[in-house]
Amino acid sequence: MDSEYIVEMRNITKRFPGIVANSDVTIRIKKGEIYALLGENGAGKSTLMSILFGMYEPDEGEILIRGKREKINSPSRATELNIGMVHQHFKLVSNYTITENIIMGQEPRGRFLGFLPCIDIKRADREIADLSRKYNLEVTPTDIISDINVSTRQRVEILKMLYRDAEILIFDEPTAVLTPQEIDALLDIISGLRDSGKTIILISHKLDEIKRIADRCAILRRGRLIAVLDVKSTDTKEMANLMVGREVSFRTEKKETGFGETVLEIDKLTIHNSDEFPVVRNVSFKIREGEILAIAGVSGNGQVEIAHAIAGLMKVHSGDIRLYGKSIRNMSIRERTEAGIAYIPEDRQEMGLVLDFNLKDNLALKRYYRDSFARKGIRNNTYLDECGRSIIDKYDVRCAASTETIVRSMSGGNQQKAIIGREIELGGVLTIFVQPTRGLDIGAIERVHKQIIEERDKGKAVLLISLELDEVMNLADTIAVIYSGEIDRIAPAKELTTREVGEYMMGVGVHDKAGEVV
Amino acid sequence: MNNLSTVIINGMSFALPLFIMAIGGIYSERSGVTNLALEGLQGFGAFTGALAAYVIGMHLEADSMVPTYFAMLFAILGGMLFSLLHAVLCNYFKADMVISGVVINILAMAMTAFLTKTINKNIFGAASDKFVLGVMRRFDIPLISRIPVLGAFFTNLYPFEIIIAILAFAAWYLLYKTPFGLHLRAAGDNPAAVDAAGINVIRIRYLAVMMSGALSGLAGICFAYSISAKFSSDIYVGYGYLAIAALIFGGWKIIPTLGACLIFGFARSAGYQIVQQLGLPSSYSDLVMVLPYVLTLVLLVFLAHNSQAPRALGEAYDKSKR
Repeated sequence: MDSEYIVEMRNITKRFPGIVANSDVTIRIKKGEIYALLGENGAGKSTLMSILFGMYEPDEGEILIRGKREKINSPSRATELNIGMVHQHFKLVSNYTITENIIMGQEPRGRFLGFLPCIDIKRADREIADLSRKYNLEVTPTDIISDINVSTRQRVEILKMLYRDAEILIFDEPTAVLTPQEIDALLDIISGLRDSGKTIILISHKLDEIKRIADRCAILRRGRLIAVLDVKSTDTKEMANLMVGREVSFRTEKKETGFGETVLEIDKLTIHNSDEFPVVRNVSFKIREGEILAIAGVSGNGQVEIAHAIAGLMKVHSGDIRLYGKSIRNMSIRERTEAGIAYIPEDRQEMGLVLDFNLKDNLALKRYYRDSFARKGIRNNTYLDECGRSIIDKYDVRCAASTETIVRSMSGGNQQKAIIGREIELGGVLTIFVQPTRGLDIGAIERVHKQIIEERDKGKAVLLISLELDEVMNLADTIAVIYSGEIDRIAPAKELTTREVGEYMMGVGVHDKAGEVV
Repeated sequence: MNNLSTVIINGMSFALPLFIMAIGGIYSERSGVTNLALEGLQGFGAFTGALAAYVIGMHLEADSMVPTYFAMLFAILGGMLFSLLHAVLCNYFKADMVISGVVINILAMAMTAFLTKTINKNIFGAASDKFVLGVMRRFDIPLISRIPVLGAFFTNLYPFEIIIAILAFAAWYLLYKTPFGLHLRAAGDNPAAVDAAGINVIRIRYLAVMMSGALSGLAGICFAYSISAKFSSDIYVGYGYLAIAALIFGGWKIIPTLGACLIFGFARSAGYQIVQQLGLPSSYSDLVMVLPYVLTLVLLVFLAHNSQAPRALGEAYDKSKR
């Protein structure tokens, strides 16, 4: 090997109908470094790596691996070249064991009944156990995928690459699905892999992660390579500006306003899940006009269920939910929408959108039955189209074919913009945001935060449910901390420090409810 | 021979072809291809098998067993060939799998009826809508067939019962013990994962559907050589659907599916036996034919919430989807 670079992608151009995903991009990656690809959603990071992994072929340009020109036309070819990739959406068989998932395609052979060739699953289990110990990736090889959590599944994906002797490991936004603690663990794992001689390519839009572990960082914007930086000598502010292409403010500006009448009142709410387990217990709080109430908490402590109950997706076991003093407990979802509840759900693809519908229909999902949208039960397509266009313009939804774009083909950030636009345009009195910036890049996060503040300034009540503590601290007027289905602490945001909230989230806060504000 | 033995003997000879057909269905569905075409596949297999037996039998003595075995071979090949239609429609054209299956059933019925009449008239010079095959010669397994009660499982066997037992074991081994089986079952849960492992999902699904065709074809000719004693449109009485019910009750797993098939088989043979013992008119035995289906309905009530269908069942695999 006469080149110091293990991977070189030269002058890569890739066009899709309607867009140029990569335009003349050249990157060179050294053996044994963590090389980050930074860029907004839709900047072409994933496309570039999909090309390296053989899922797309570039229209122009060439790829050199270990100094040798290679044509990578399939993931199998990439695997042969010791390239592995952890995709954003894991590719695991849910009813198989961890071992079965890892060995698939490269099974160790044994003998069944002494003469028939078969998979030697016992040997495979041992091999996987050894491998997981070697790289500190704790898994139990015989566990079934559907029984294990997201971060373990991710470890399985990493083991899958290592089992195939991957030397060049590509991670596509690996932290998007993880909780803060899990992120820490993963970053340690990635550094550990580098230290054992692997080359890592990390796709991300989270600056702090890149700052923490990456050696060098390439910034992409709208398909073009903007800069390659040495991470140590660059500050995050500069990276952010280069990525977005303008000045970015990290702190959200928020002016003080007074609160108006009580909009939403949750009264001793208890919710049972399908196993009749009380996931939310005796929760009470109020949100007034012009107030953002944020529920902070570690994932899975009942916060999503509260949102579901307000939106009408889950049954209330006991207690009441009132909107302007009127109980909505037994209303249908449509009645609640008409009463003024807008809901931006956590899972935008499952619950927020019909992925195979076009944008026009998706943007009208909550209003299509209203008079101007439909006359005597027949759709008014012109009006649907107009409304769609106005949301697309107003909320800067980037899409290839305007209102006719199939939503599945859009990036996550733009899908979220579309949902937020749709819900805000309903013109309600209460807007519920559940994890509104999950998986979004910094530019998009900034925009969502502004919209949340705008809603509040319009005098609406806002319920924000977020796992990101920074987001909660930044936006909320009032913070309620939830821990195992109960609100442990509720207080005006200025009376709480990040540290305090963090402690309550972990259930270790002092159980002093004297400061409770209602 | 006592009543219990009769119930066992007749029950097994019905349950085993049903079982091998259900295994075919399991292969197809575990790979992700919904297969309602079993009914048509077994009918078409029975047709090609019966035709082969006719053609070959013309040159041999009347009591030769050779045509029988050729019939089974050609039933397997015929079923496999016909199943390619389903495989191509589902995998290449990405057609709706349910519709494809139903259409294939209707097509098989119409086509074999037409071909049987035409071939009888033009080649064998007889105006007939059936190929008469007779019943396969049965045999006992020495010694073990004498064991009280359980010996009935080894008495009065059709040769195909042995063949099915061997093939069923082979199919089980292939599905659960080999890399191919691992890939096949994965393709029905998360085809993208299989693809990412460098395995061709479409190829697996083609093979799985062909397997269902081959095994259904075999089942069809077994019915033709036992219950029907001929090939005619009588072959389409819904055994294919019964096999689908069995594999669903079996949770798309081979061993529990055997249990379901045995229940169906014994319910049917016990019903006949009761009708005979009570000396009821023959029209009541028609009622007994309904028994497995009634049982299906009853079982459905109890097992409705216990569905473990493959997650990607019925979804055509499309690489480009996000």
